[in-house]
Amino acid sequence: MATLASTRPAHVPEEHLGDFNLMDDPSMLPRPNGEPHAAIAKLLDGPPVFYSLNNTRNGEGAWFVIRAEDQRRVLQDGETFSSNRNIFASALGETWPTIPLELDPPEHGKWRSLLNPPLSPRRVMNLEPFVRQRAVELIDEIKARGNSCEVMSEFAFPFAVSIFLQFLGIPNDRLMEFVGWANDLLHSTPEARTKAARTVIAYLDDLQELRRREPTDDFMSFVTQAEVDGRKLTQHEVKQMSVLLFIAGLDTVAAALGFDFLYLARNLDDQALLRAEPQRLTLAAEELMRAFPTVTPVRRATRDVELHGRLIKAGDLVACPSMTANRDPAEFPEPEKIDLAREDNRHVAFAYGPHRCLGSHLARREVVIGLEEFLARVPEFRIKEGVDPIVNGGFVFGVENLVLTWN
Amino acid sequence: MKIIVDGAKCQGNARCWAQDNEMFNLDDEGYLPSQTIVVPDTPEKQLAARRAVRACPERALALEE
Ligand code: HEM
Repeated sequence: MATLASTRPAHVPEEHLGDFNLMDDPSMLPRPNGEPHAAIAKLLDGPPVFYSLNNTRNGEGAWFVIRAEDQRRVLQDGETFSSNRNIFASALGETWPTIPLELDPPEHGKWRSLLNPPLSPRRVMNLEPFVRQRAVELIDEIKARGNSCEVMSEFAFPFAVSIFLQFLGIPNDRLMEFVGWANDLLHSTPEARTKAARTVIAYLDDLQELRRREPTDDFMSFVTQAEVDGRKLTQHEVKQMSVLLFIAGLDTVAAALGFDFLYLARNLDDQALLRAEPQRLTLAAEELMRAFPTVTPVRRATRDVELHGRLIKAGDLVACPSMTANRDPAEFPEPEKIDLAREDNRHVAFAYGPHRCLGSHLARREVVIGLEEFLARVPEFRIKEGVDPIVNGGFVFGVENLVLTWN
Repeated sequence: MKIIVDGAKCQGNARCWAQDNEMFNLDDEGYLPSQTIVVPDTPEKQLAARRAVRACPERALALEE
């Protein structure tokens, strides 16, 4: 199948092909001091829409939609551009959508109505004391170990995982176990991925059963007691949701923090400014999210559509890299400039349209609070000499290794 | 000054709410329903209103002067 799919489909003329792809373009692979954002932003100099071969694990090609205005059109129209892909389940050899990520309107909307309130901006405020406490604990542990740290494995990743655990209602003593599963699930061989997926599901199934019998005030209790269409949710539906919350909020939050630390370690003036005036962090974090977004939403066309003279046929995949939209000069004045005081920053790091990140309000607070506490507790930090940070592109951009040091 | 809210376009990004959480009163799900918001006649509110319109990633808000 891979070889079949990676040849040019008959409806895509040669001149609509582009030579960039997310899977194996050299600029997308993990590299010391890699700059995948700068590499992908070069696509803004080329055609607004092109077809590229070999963009998924099974070798399927995809259309790339580069500009903000066009991505808005694609991502706001869930009827023409479907999200139904069953990617997580395929790792298990099964076929079911995660909820709500892989559902389309109108079905999608009723699940969002259920899930929006517990993750609304107001309700997220209630989670802040815990988020702050976890940040402080992790930073104190780092400081007790010395004056350097690998900030991804010692801070960003365990921080994101423990907030997920708290939100769902899992005791924090399971943290390192979950960190290990998350690593296998997101950064390992297909075999390890499948094994980790089964382990996480088994754990979440047990928790679900427990909360059905004895509800508390956590998210798992909420979904097991809640109703959609006038009935309780099935065991399968709760799994479809809870497993998504696990995968959606780990790498993404960790990567956002990683790129922020990397930027601040390389730009000591900005680091000093944010340390002296932490109230600037809310805007600064938005600007860093604009400059270093990590996700490329992908859709499948449900009917033939034309975009900039290209025929996107029903069944074709359409990729909308947030990195290009976020550096689109039609959307942002001086997009190449990182301006930590940029106002009115309507970036697309959390996507546009009905699938706009359900966790965005929590994620924003995690990033700001994580940076705030780190800057308040750790003096001026730099990249440790001789240890190049490893940065990757691909479907979720990330920082794989970043050793910081301070006096 | 008025802001016309197109509730069908609102996706709960809450960028307007981040500008001014009184003027942009989100519902329990975190969305802003269709409505016309009359912006109070003070420089702070008018600035917040302009910023909110520009900050909306979905372009769900329109300014009417
Ligand atoms: C900085 C961190 C984060 C980034 C950059 C991010 C980015 C995104 C993006 C771009 C989407 C849209 C995907 C698509 O349309 O195909 C999305 C959806 C989603 N995110 Fe996040 N996310 C982050 C953190 C989180 C967190 C912390 C959670 C959990 C609390 C979360 C839960 C979700 C869920 C459940 C969806 C699916 C929403 C839907 O389909 O309606 N995310 N995220």
